[in-house]
Amino acid sequence: MSGLVADILETALPASTGVALAASGEMLNERAGTLNLGQEGLMSLGAVAAFIVGTNTRNPFLALGVGLLVGAVAGIVFATAAVVIRANQVLAGLAIAVGGVGLANQIGNGRQGEQLLSRFEPVAIPGLSDIPIIGEALFDQDPIVYFTFYVLPVMLWFLLFRTRHGMNLRAVGENPAAADAVGVNVTGMRFTYATIGAALSGAGGAHLVLGYTQNWSIGVVSGAGWVSLAVVIFAAWRPFLVVLGSLLFGAMTSLGFVAQARQWNVPSYVLAMLPYLVTLALILLPAGLAAITRRGRASSAPAALAVPYYREDR
Amino acid sequence: MAATSRSWRLERRLSVTSGQAALARVGGVLVALVIGWLILAVTGRNAGSLLWKAIDGTFGERQGFDEMVLLLTPILMNALAVHIALRMKLWNIGSEGQFFMGAWAATGVGLYMGGPEWLVLTVMGIAAALAGAAWILVPALARAHWSVNEIITTLLLNFVAIQWVAWFSFDIWRDRAAAVVQSTPVVKARLPFFPGSETLYVGIFVPIAIAAVMFFLFRSTRWGYEVDMIGGNPRAAEFAGIRVTRRIVVVMLISGAIAGVSGMLHLAGPAQRLNSSISNNYGLSGFIVAALAGNSVIGVVAGAVFIAWLLHAGITLQADGFSVFIVAALYGLVLLGIAIGEAAARFRLVRASRQQERAVA
Repeated sequence: MSGLVADILETALPASTGVALAASGEMLNERAGTLNLGQEGLMSLGAVAAFIVGTNTRNPFLALGVGLLVGAVAGIVFATAAVVIRANQVLAGLAIAVGGVGLANQIGNGRQGEQLLSRFEPVAIPGLSDIPIIGEALFDQDPIVYFTFYVLPVMLWFLLFRTRHGMNLRAVGENPAAADAVGVNVTGMRFTYATIGAALSGAGGAHLVLGYTQNWSIGVVSGAGWVSLAVVIFAAWRPFLVVLGSLLFGAMTSLGFVAQARQWNVPSYVLAMLPYLVTLALILLPAGLAAITRRGRASSAPAALAVPYYREDR
Repeated sequence: MAATSRSWRLERRLSVTSGQAALARVGGVLVALVIGWLILAVTGRNAGSLLWKAIDGTFGERQGFDEMVLLLTPILMNALAVHIALRMKLWNIGSEGQFFMGAWAATGVGLYMGGPEWLVLTVMGIAAALAGAAWILVPALARAHWSVNEIITTLLLNFVAIQWVAWFSFDIWRDRAAAVVQSTPVVKARLPFFPGSETLYVGIFVPIAIAAVMFFLFRSTRWGYEVDMIGGNPRAAEFAGIRVTRRIVVVMLISGAIAGVSGMLHLAGPAQRLNSSISNNYGLSGFIVAALAGNSVIGVVAGAVFIAWLLHAGITLQADGFSVFIVAALYGLVLLGIAIGEAAARFRLVRASRQQERAVA
């Protein structure tokens, strides 16, 4: 049993690092009131950019950085439409999702099968990785996994809940008119975090290729972007729950491999459905529980999420 | 001097007429296409001859035109499915999954049911409608009763549906007689060809009929009016005595059923065998059409022809450097164009004198 948990965890972390990065980024820009449904496209673009760089250099950090940059550029396109022009965020986000996947597939199509030279390799943390059962799974991973699961949530939590800037950021997402009244630059704040969020999603797609699949094929992201959006809802916009939710998705993906390796008598197709079904359950459960117990607010979403801000409407 | 004291400025409109909105959408789409065309030209493709070939290859010859209408059948079906939910401002992005489940159910009936062909085809259609509706049931209930975002729930189920269909076509129902073919055996019941064609099936009449019914529903019936009212302001509709939650579920189930039937039409028409790659992005294309069309059934039909033409070009002009992936990228540009056009329609350019500006400020 303990071997099983360790086996699942060992793959679950790298399998869900991409989702966790994307979901952390999306959580951040949703906190500022911008809904970017384009995650699938951002991750696809980041993935293909990292793949192309990764087939030409041996530096995974460079490849990841390019994926991050490409995500940021796509984020600027989105933010210009959604925040500056104040276009419908659902439409603009879906545009990024659809267009990003199409563009990424077009760019990568001729390069399928090329060998990836730069990959992230595990670096064991002395001491911690010797902990029985879970030590190796949790502390013998690549640096980006460590950053995503152990550093990023702390940083985001501190930023959001322990700094004045973070308070302003949340105010922009909850009540932009009030934030504006006390001198917070609503448009600037939303634009900045929409870009940062998209950059993290691009990096997430990049890690998916560099640290997990270690090659590229059409549809390599296969829903991870959509899952990241669901994870944010499940996590109720909280940084630690975001990485935990992502890890659950990763565990389901990992379970598929473990089941095949151990020759369990479950069809591989059913195992492949599992991550999506569990993600679906993740967003249905909190809503269902809230409805049944009739406790608390129906939703903990930022109050001004996806609502464009016009100063004249105050 | 009058010229120096007057300047152009943007002013928000209090309300946008449907004509202005339509104009802004069309404008947004055109700008997006021009940008896409320029990108193609810059990346070394002969954009001029590409456009001409795309027009000539589809509208200049009977075969190409029939192929385009063949693509139009599932695209228009999926677009109508997305459209009816969008009348309520609900996004069914899972029509691809419902299409697959409809095709799956139709295959099951087609493989195991005997009897006259017309009866088999009818039962296939009913089974497909039920399967499509069943596939959207959970997102519909969750949206209506718990306000769970339907965009993500419907989309996640697409990935499940594709695995489901893969399971049946590569394993459970796999054609074991033909070892090479990774799909189910041929379903014998087939729709008749369109009169005078050997490419096109009569299935195209189904979305046309549904479009006609929908046009009538939203133009002349109380039911349609109430659906539009919920789309406009659900709280007001609730106060007016409309049972909003129930209506949401019903409309979403209809949406799923239409997408399901499109799977059956495709299977009993050109596909004949079920496998997990029978859809050429039909769900996605239908969704783009619905987003393009806004609140107009006629817009859906016109948009579907346009998108079917684009997709046909993507499939047939691969030798010229065009591809279905470029079409998907263009979809994204077009969507962005619509979104920006829609936002722009809320403003108008006015010339105001300095004095007026000061008065406004």
